[in-house]
Amino acid sequence: MTRLLVLLALLAAWSGGVSAQQLLDWTPEEIGSVGRHGPWPPSPVRDPSNKVSGTPAGILLGEHLFNEPRLSGDGRVSCATCHQAGREWSDGLARARGTVELDRRTPSLWNIGYLHWFGWDGAGDSLWAQSIRPLLDPREMNGEAARVAALLRGDTALTCGYERAFGSKPGNDDERLLVETAKALAAFQATLVSPRTPFDDFRDALVAGDRERASRYSLAAQRGLKLFIGEANCNLCHLGPRFTSGEFGDVGIPFFVRPGEVDPGRLGGLTRLAASPFNLLGKYNDDASGNNTRRTRHVQRQHTNFGEFRVPGLRQVGRGGPYMHNGSLATLEDVVRHYSEVSPDRLHSDGIPLVRPLGLTAEQSADLVAFLRSLDAEPPPRSTPAPLCP
Amino acid sequence: MKLAVALPGFLLATPAWADCPLDLGRGTGWVVYSDHYLMAFRSDPLRIEVGEPFALVLNVCTKGGEPAELLAVDASMPEHRHGMNYRPRIVAKGDGRFRAEGMLFHMPGRWEITFNVRAGEESENLTHDIILK
Repeated sequence: MTRLLVLLALLAAWSGGVSAQQLLDWTPEEIGSVGRHGPWPPSPVRDPSNKVSGTPAGILLGEHLFNEPRLSGDGRVSCATCHQAGREWSDGLARARGTVELDRRTPSLWNIGYLHWFGWDGAGDSLWAQSIRPLLDPREMNGEAARVAALLRGDTALTCGYERAFGSKPGNDDERLLVETAKALAAFQATLVSPRTPFDDFRDALVAGDRERASRYSLAAQRGLKLFIGEANCNLCHLGPRFTSGEFGDVGIPFFVRPGEVDPGRLGGLTRLAASPFNLLGKYNDDASGNNTRRTRHVQRQHTNFGEFRVPGLRQVGRGGPYMHNGSLATLEDVVRHYSEVSPDRLHSDGIPLVRPLGLTAEQSADLVAFLRSLDAEPPPRSTPAPLCP
Repeated sequence: MKLAVALPGFLLATPAWADCPLDLGRGTGWVVYSDHYLMAFRSDPLRIEVGEPFALVLNVCTKGGEPAELLAVDASMPEHRHGMNYRPRIVAKGDGRFRAEGMLFHMPGRWEITFNVRAGEESENLTHDIILK
């Protein structure tokens, strides 16, 4: 019995020692920085510009439409063709493929309802406006308002689902039906919230002062996180619970899409935003207060917007890829190498550069990747959506 | 910062400014001044969050008591040499009161806000730093 007690005491001391060794020293400032990347998940989002946002009937209709190939010109492409649930709501391709291969990667839809600008260039100022673009783009779904409207009016189940979501039968205004289709699509997409991750457990434990629970987070991930919020300054742009400012930056990826042709990024996005009849300053904004139009009213188009692309959120980042707006980097290791070796000449910064060659060691690079992978988790399995009108 | 605590000696030393309405309605804010201008301002909402739009509520006064105009408000991050991605619009509310709508700080760090004020022919830039976490 005595031997057993001694053994148990030794085991307890050993495990206590391991716990103490597995938690790095975190300063109050660092704990504050880590804390600002949570909590997770956030409260459900509701978009006041979209009257069916957050409504069960709107979300259900949106999920059916999301998987509906008849919205496309040839009846074969749906939103889910490129935004696949099993591929983190992207497609695993370097460049998206619609009716032709595009110049940019299919962005993941995780946590998209919390954004303010949509698309790599921010040409959309609402999720529903952004959802219209691929529907109509000849290079993507190649659809048209008349086709979408005819489907809503002609398909019994969709007509019924529309009536439940919007409170009346589909009318004769094709453009309005196109917008309402997009609003249902947006209502569904806004429900795609990524799961809690090992980082979230660590963050909560660290903020709560629970050393034992915090020490379960791997040392490599802890070291990578310290780099992320410290020396590497990644959190200047990848900030907050979603690890993105939601704004735009030029991180040294080449502008050219093919010889003699460039992708202007945010500069072109702002031009399209201003010209769009579907932006929040137009007649389809359901928020009469106008409070949700401030970004659109005040955003300014500057020459520095050339070559800027939206800062992506980093949750589930290790499960996605290829990376960057044009899919030019295949792995997370490649991304970290890019930031370690990026050419300052290419970035033309005359102040303290936001992106600079980090010059990471092999161990630091591995730590940063370990941290990024701690932002991943297996999402719960999805069930088939309920019938629109059982 | 409580305005009443921040400036009592200064205001007593310059009687013309003692009438400057520094109360912005919420009992808190910042004050900046030069030889000719005194300005109080606060943000709306009071807490500025990274990536969230906000407005500035301002009172602008002059040493001589003549009416002053707020011509422009802008902000930049001097270390990184970049400004805001948004352009604020100024609305005059009368009696030296203004509202600058459409501000947004998209990064944490030091932001320098610049106020371009004018009374008569002369205009001047006043600045104030805010550290955002």
